[in-house]
Parts: sequence; structure tokens; C-alpha cells
Amino acid sequence: MSAKTRVIMTAREKRENKWGVLFSLPCILGFLIFALIPMGVSLVLSFMNYSFTTGGSFIGIANYRQLFSGADPYFYKSMAVTIIYVVLSVPSAMIFAFLIALLLNSDVRGKGIFRTIFYLPTVVPIVAMAAIWMWIFNPDMGLANHLLKGMHLPVSKWLSGESSVIPTLVFINLWTTGSTMVIFLAGIQDVPRQLLEAVQIDGGGFFAKLRYVIVPMMTPTIFYNVVMGIINGFQIFTQSYVMTQGGPNNASLFYVYYLYREAFEFSRMGKACAVAWVLFVIIMILTAVIFKYSNRWVYYGGE
Amino acid sequence: MKRKTAAKLIAASMITAMVLGGCGNSGGTASDGDGAKSGEDESVTLKFTYWGSGDEKKAIEESVDKFMEKYSNIKVDLMHIPNEDFLTKLNAMIAAGETPDISYSASWKCQMGEDGLIYNFYDLLDDMDLKKEDYLSTCWWNWSPEESAGPVQANVTTNLMYNVDCFEDAKVELPPAKVEDAWSWEEFIDVAQQLTLDTEGRNAKDPNFDSDNIQQYGVMFGTDWNVYMPFVYSAGGGYLNENMDGIGLEEPAAAEVIQNFADLINKYHVSPTAVQKNAMPSAATALASKQTAMYIDGSWNHLDLMNSGCDWGVGVLPIDENYTTFFDGGSLIIFKSTEHLEETEKLYLWLTNPESSERITELYRTLWLPVQTEYYTDEEKLDFWASEELPARPKGFKDAIVKATYDHAVTATEIDVKNFNEINTLVQSALEQVWSGSKTAEQAMTEVKSQTDPLVGGTYSGERS
Repeated sequence: MSAKTRVIMTAREKRENKWGVLFSLPCILGFLIFALIPMGVSLVLSFMNYSFTTGGSFIGIANYRQLFSGADPYFYKSMAVTIIYVVLSVPSAMIFAFLIALLLNSDVRGKGIFRTIFYLPTVVPIVAMAAIWMWIFNPDMGLANHLLKGMHLPVSKWLSGESSVIPTLVFINLWTTGSTMVIFLAGIQDVPRQLLEAVQIDGGGFFAKLRYVIVPMMTPTIFYNVVMGIINGFQIFTQSYVMTQGGPNNASLFYVYYLYREAFEFSRMGKACAVAWVLFVIIMILTAVIFKYSNRWVYYGGE
Repeated sequence: MKRKTAAKLIAASMITAMVLGGCGNSGGTASDGDGAKSGEDESVTLKFTYWGSGDEKKAIEESVDKFMEKYSNIKVDLMHIPNEDFLTKLNAMIAAGETPDISYSASWKCQMGEDGLIYNFYDLLDDMDLKKEDYLSTCWWNWSPEESAGPVQANVTTNLMYNVDCFEDAKVELPPAKVEDAWSWEEFIDVAQQLTLDTEGRNAKDPNFDSDNIQQYGVMFGTDWNVYMPFVYSAGGGYLNENMDGIGLEEPAAAEVIQNFADLINKYHVSPTAVQKNAMPSAATALASKQTAMYIDGSWNHLDLMNSGCDWGVGVLPIDENYTTFFDGGSLIIFKSTEHLEETEKLYLWLTNPESSERITELYRTLWLPVQTEYYTDEEKLDFWASEELPARPKGFKDAIVKATYDHAVTATEIDVKNFNEINTLVQSALEQVWSGSKTAEQAMTEVKSQTDPLVGGTYSGERS
């Protein structure tokens, strides 16, 4: 009975339905044309030895086999480099952005100015930012080593050192955590006043508020930022493209930069598509795992 | 009803905007020709893709304007694409059926030749009234002995540039310009040490020299193949081994050369430790600001050096035995998909003739060296572009650049070695361990062999490079 009633629509409903679909078409088409179809095509290409200029033919799973067998000198290296970067950069960025958000939430004069200052780097194009950091971290003439020398501290090779390049990029990344910080700030402002007051009445100080109210109430925000941080971390590209070209000795050969090089420098489109799909699957699995275990630590107010 | 029509229109235009916005492209007029035979009077449009600095871009634009004035029936669509994105964009254009008629090109052109995308230049010689013998014999980009992508167009060579003031301040004699007077490597190190100054003004030979606080370096050098390969060839080594089935950079002659360069950084402290391309100042910046007294890199820096306003000079490379070097540079390729071959050839001749227009002449007097032999053998023609009266041709130019290279040139590594781009990417990464001092040249090059050697496929000429 209910099935039947759903099918029967008034003329007005039908009309509105038609218009509804029509108006959402731009979005649907956009998704199809710029996301779903290209993804499908790239999946097909990943089983081909395709190049722009000569086309290609199907070669089965040869691309994937080449990646995982270790025949490609860059695959595991770039994977390792990227994972190390994510492991270092996500927690450091979270803690840094959270602390800044806490500071910016306090009632100081010129609060607006401080908030602007800390958000501003996010607006600066990453290439311009990279150029400045390269000067600061130039091992011979840069500001960073100059300051260290002035304080009689040991200097570093920063971006030019095989072991220091990733930590340096992680440090630079802290500078661009403005949007994460803004989301944290919004989260903090949403923490119910009465709970904070309750802590105060019970004689708890700032750390008690942080430990028992602010952090637990903000777990959904933290959760969101961690997921986005991991996804973005795996896709880091511009920094190594502009600053290090993957060097020194491939120590900053991030996965997406490796993908880019396969596709556009060595013209191996098919293999590059396979590389992209491996990353897609990794990010999917990671995200799924985080979501699965999120109920252990993420607390939504209504529960 | 009216409202509905309006709504329909809006929806339709939104969809159109989305679809067009994504697929639209710039300047796709060139290959719209209907395949009609292009006669003198018929107007045709050519598409020309190129890269280059602001100066080069301007020169090309103005020169092509002159070309269009002369041939009023030919319109040239210029597409300037930044060097880093060039192949990406070109590949995309080819894939989309928007292949240009003529283009700048780097070492990837040989693959395009093998794939049948571009004309064999040897087949076009008669058409253009050119002869193979008119060009320097070492500057041909060939993908087989009988098939060529053409001679180098933006011709350059490796050279030693210096700031005259640094030498005068230190009371050191200027670098020699003649091959027979060239420094040995030991003499070169000695000079570099005298020119390396710490913040207290002590040079690197002073026992109290403070290598942690250096004000002016003795020498900077590019770390890519074009800098070390002349030294490797001169020492009897090669990029590939004797059998051409693997790289030869781990062999004693080559490894010693590379180690020598690394020692400038880590042993003698006369070169800076930051050797990544983007971390290093360009030759003009570094020399003009006296960050370094000498700089070994390509001659394309001469234009910027001229504009920098500093007192600069050029010398021969510090190679005192068996001086060997090369000409090198991109070339112009003509795509087989062109529908206007005749007009494209005209444009080719225009761009490669140093005397076709004022702006092109200027490029050959600052940025490039000609590739036609007569510009080296005929005194008058030589003076036309290399006279030391010209602002970008300092004293010693004819000896240090023209004669030294012309008399001692072999085919450049990048032109001859197959699969060079990919092999060199691996080599360059591995070398970064040598520049940083964590490995010797021999160690690093031996270790990288397992990765490079499967890619090695010999040379296009069939001779060792």
C-alpha cells in the first residue's frame, strides 16, 4: 500500500521534482564530470601502460606488481618519507593549533589583531611562503643559522640535510595551521559555560577545566581536524616541489610528488594512475580505521 | 509561465557554464585549418610553444612580430609556458589534439622522435635550403644515426665566470682565458682558497680562518651533469662505462672529478654547503653581491650578468690536460601534425638565423651562441656576435668561450645518452650524499648502479659518452 502511494504524485509534486533535479544538476554533473568519471578512467588507465603521446594497451596488474615488488626505486622510499611526515606533522600541528586557539580564546586586548596575525599565513600562497622559508633556512646565509650562531648553538643544514629536511618541513607546516586553529577556536567557544563554572565551584583550576571539560567537549572537533590533517598530510606536494625537489637524496620525495614525477616528467600515465589508486586506498583504509575507533574517545554532547 | 522560462534559462546556463568552464582552453585556433593547401595569399595561423626568462620572452615576442610583418599571411600564436611545466602542458596539448606546429624542446624530444610525432629534420633540410655541414657537428639531437630532431638552437656551454673586483681586492691574477694557460685543479683550489674570506677578512689559507663564518666564497658551482661532465671527459672518463651497459661515474677517473668538487665544499670550505638548485643564488646574483668570487655554470648567465652591472669576466675551465667540453641546449622541433609545413619552416629559419631581426641578434649576443659553423670560422661573422666590444661579451670571451669550446667540443652527455632524464634523476639524488659529505663519490655512484643500470640503453650515436 505504502509503495503505491509513493508512486502516485500530484502534478505539482512531479513538477517540483523535475525542477529539483534540474537545479541540482550542476552539482551532480560537476561531481560526475570532474570526480567520478575521471576516477573511473584513472582506474582503467592504472591497468594500462598509457602515455599521453602514444596511447597504450592493457597490461593487467603489471603496474601494481612493479610498485609492490620493489622494482621501482622510489615507491617504498616515498611511502616511508610520507608516513614519517604524517606521523610527525599531524600531532605537532594539532597540539600547536590547539594551544594557539586556547591563547586566542583568552580575554586579552587586541584579541582580533592576534587572531588575524595567526590566521594570516594560511592566506599567503604556499609558493611565496616557501621562497621565504628557503631563505631563512639557507644553511650558509640564512637567518636561522645566523641566529643559532649568534647564540653559540650548533647549526643545522635544515632543508639541505638528509636527516633534517623532514623535521624542517614539519616545522614550516606549523606556520600554516591557521584554519585548524580557527576550527579549534570555534570549538572552544562552544564549550558550555555552566560546565566550566561547575569546575570552578569545585575548586578546579585551568588544567582541571582543560582536562575534564574543554578537551572532552572538543573531541568531535579534534576528531575532524585529525582526519583532515591525515588526509592533507598524505597529499603534501607543493613544499617539496618548490623547496627541495624531493631532495636531498630523495629524503623529501613525498608520495604525491613522486606521482607527479612519474606522470609528467617520465610520461608514465598508467603507472602514475596506479600510484594514485594505492594512495587512495591507503587513505580510505586509514580514515575507516579512525572512524571505527572514534567512538572510544569522541564524545558527542547528546549521548 | 515567464518565471519558469527564466528558471529554465538559469539552470541551463549554469550547466553550460560548468561544462565549458572545465573543458575550455586558451588559444585553440592554430590547428583549426581545414587542410586546404596554404598558398602565399591564404592566411594561416601557426602555434609556437616556448619557454624562457622575461627577457627571452620579450625578445621572442618582438622578433615574431617582425616575422609577421614580413610575412603578412602568417599569424603566429605564441604560447609561453614556464620551463618546469612545459612538458606537462605540451603532453596535455598533444593528448587533446591541440599539438603546436613548432616548439622549444629538451631531451624528451628524442622519445617524441621515436614515437613518430615530430619531423626528421634531415628530411626538411632540402626544403629549407640548409646543409648538415653548415652546423657544428656535435650539436645535433639525433634519435638514430639517420633521424634527427634538429641542431641545438638555444646554444650554451659550461664556463667559469668571476667577479673582477674580488680578484683585485685579493691581489690575485685573473683566471686565464686560453686553454693552453688553463689552471690545474690544484692551482684552482689555491686561488679559490685565497678568495674565500671569513667575516674577519682572513682567507682560507690563514691558519686562523673560521670556516663557520664565511663572508665570501671562492667558488660556487652548479651540481648538475653539465658542470662536472667536461672534467670527467677530460680525465678520460665517461657518463657511461666502456661497454655502455651501465653508468661509468663510479670508475676512478669520473669518481675523482666528482670527489674533487665535493672536496671544495667539505674539505677546503671554499664552496657553500647548500647545493640544491633552488637554495643557490643564480650566478649573476651571487657574483654581483660578492657571495662568491667565481661561479662554474652555463653561459646562459651572461645576460643576467650584463644586467647586474658588476665587473665580470669569463675564463676557461680549470682543466690543464686534454681539455674537453661541449655545446648544449634545446632545439626547435616541428610536429608532423602541422598543416602548414612551409610556413612553419619559414618561422624555423627566422628564429634560428642570428641576423633575422634585431631582437634575435640581441639574444645571440647575450644568451645564446650560434650553431652555424660560419659564425665560428669567418672572422667577420664571429665579430658580429662575439666581439668583445659587446656588453655581454667581456674580455677573454673569444678565447675562453668561443675558441675553447669550438676546438674541444664533443657531443653533450644529455644529447647522446639514451633515457638520460631518468638516469640522471637517480644520479643527481645519489650525488646529494656526496655533496653533503656523507659518502664518497665512488661509494654513492657504485650504490646507485643497481637502480640506474637497468635503465641504461647506450647512446644514440653508438659511441661512448
